[in-house]
Amino acid sequence: MSAAIETRRLSKVYGTKRALDHVDLRVEEGSIFGFLGPNGAGKTTTLRILTGLARPTKGTVRVLGHDVATADNAVRAEIGFLPDVPGFYEWMTAEEFLRFAGGLFGIGHKVLDDRVAVLLDLAGLTDVITRIGGYSRGMKQRLGVAQALINAPRLLMLDEPTSALDPMGRKEVLDMLQSLRGRTTVFFSTHILSDVERICDTVAILDQGRVVVQAPIEELKARYGAGKVVVEVGEGADGLAEAIRAEAWATNVERDANGTIEITVTDAAAASREIPALVASRALPLLRMEAGEMGLEEVFVQLVGGGRQ
Amino acid sequence: MKGFAVFARKEATEIVRTWRIWVLPGMLLFFALTGPAMARFTPEIVGAAAGDQLAALMKAMPVPTYLDAYAQWAKNLTQIALFAIIIIYGGLVSGERKTGTAVLVLTKPVSRSAFVVAKAVVHSLFLALTVVVGTLVTWGGTRVVFGKAPGASLWLSAMAWLAFGVLFIAIMTLLSSLMSSQAGAAGIGLGVFALMSIAALWEPLARYSPVGLTGAPMTLAAGKESAILWPVITSLALASALVALAAWAFRTKEL
Repeated sequence: MSAAIETRRLSKVYGTKRALDHVDLRVEEGSIFGFLGPNGAGKTTTLRILTGLARPTKGTVRVLGHDVATADNAVRAEIGFLPDVPGFYEWMTAEEFLRFAGGLFGIGHKVLDDRVAVLLDLAGLTDVITRIGGYSRGMKQRLGVAQALINAPRLLMLDEPTSALDPMGRKEVLDMLQSLRGRTTVFFSTHILSDVERICDTVAILDQGRVVVQAPIEELKARYGAGKVVVEVGEGADGLAEAIRAEAWATNVERDANGTIEITVTDAAAASREIPALVASRALPLLRMEAGEMGLEEVFVQLVGGGRQ
Repeated sequence: MKGFAVFARKEATEIVRTWRIWVLPGMLLFFALTGPAMARFTPEIVGAAAGDQLAALMKAMPVPTYLDAYAQWAKNLTQIALFAIIIIYGGLVSGERKTGTAVLVLTKPVSRSAFVVAKAVVHSLFLALTVVVGTLVTWGGTRVVFGKAPGASLWLSAMAWLAFGVLFIAIMTLLSSLMSSQAGAAGIGLGVFALMSIAALWEPLARYSPVGLTGAPMTLAAGKESAILWPVITSLALASALVALAAWAFRTKEL
């Protein structure tokens, strides 16, 4: 599979601040790729470099096989981009803006007529005749996604497309992105974990300018989920939880209402040996013992949050 | 310069659909409509208001002619219209960076040179159209008020100033490509005008460079001769060079 985006040892320095530090990214064509990170991690800087708005201090950037530093229009003709706060000409209507954007790509009238109609429908703006200056943030964001699709891009890049939206607006934008699966590569930055979990197949986590991890979501959860064990006993769960809490390999023990104990462990092998022994020593009925699954949020906190404490 | 035509059409439409269509044309049209009448009747109005106190002085004043209307138009162009250009175009390029519209445009197949050059060209044409219409109105108004209005001195004066106005659009294009502050760019633009006005006092420089156009429109409007060929040629050449420099400066900037 070929890479839609590939960066090698990408670094960006502003004065004394290192915004990006040897970032290696590979985004496969056809994937929906979530670029996760806390505020200030360097996500927007990465996107600005990928779109040619800024230049790297060091490293190489290839987008759709082209070197961004030299390709100029060859890259821009094949990408769609939505910045975090899209700026529109507020005196235009949505249709006028889409026609203007299509004109910049040199799209012919007939094709443009069809695309504008489809994209206005996709953005839910078909019957809206007011100027963009009167739009809500959600309407602007949906128009932003629509204008980024006007050239039927091979690669769609979006910077925090849902961060300022209410739940309905978020759902609409995510649905729009999900509907593109299989048709184009989608690369979007966000700090909203549930958005990534909902539509992405691959994720990279950026923290303080460095890529902490990059992997398919399921692999990531499984990799870090190995540090979690779920135990269910028929009775005596409280006492068992206390006993487990005293063990050195148990970093966190949580009890729920029906005899289930969720344990975060540092040594999975030791836990798998000693938990059954603890259950047997108390003569408790063991109903279930299995590896737990970590949510992306827990993976994120584990990878990013730990260093902040 | 890919995207030039589409972006230039956007600039032209933006002029018609926003405040830009009202400010400069509105101002110049007002001066054009009122200038000839003001030139003709100001002495009488002042005389009536002052009564006997200024009677002797009023008698000594020459009778207004069509040249006074032309001088009024040239004065309004060289002062008020030029200051308006400096202030309005202080954010010609930086305004699009500030509002984020430049990012949406420049991540599409449009060269940054086309972005800058289209702005300078469209707004220069807009200024030319505005000045031509304003001069036509002044010409007609002068004919109505004074009964005669030979065109040569008026049009020479207006076209000389137009070259100067185009030069200042180029200067503001460069400044707004380099700076993010509209007020800062306008301040420097006013400084450049002040320096040019001082430099024009040195006659050899005034004869062969754009600084000659700081006073030439007034001289021409008064019906006197002024050698404007070299000042006009050098102004237009310098304007082209400044726009090219602005395009280069904008290409090197990160957005």
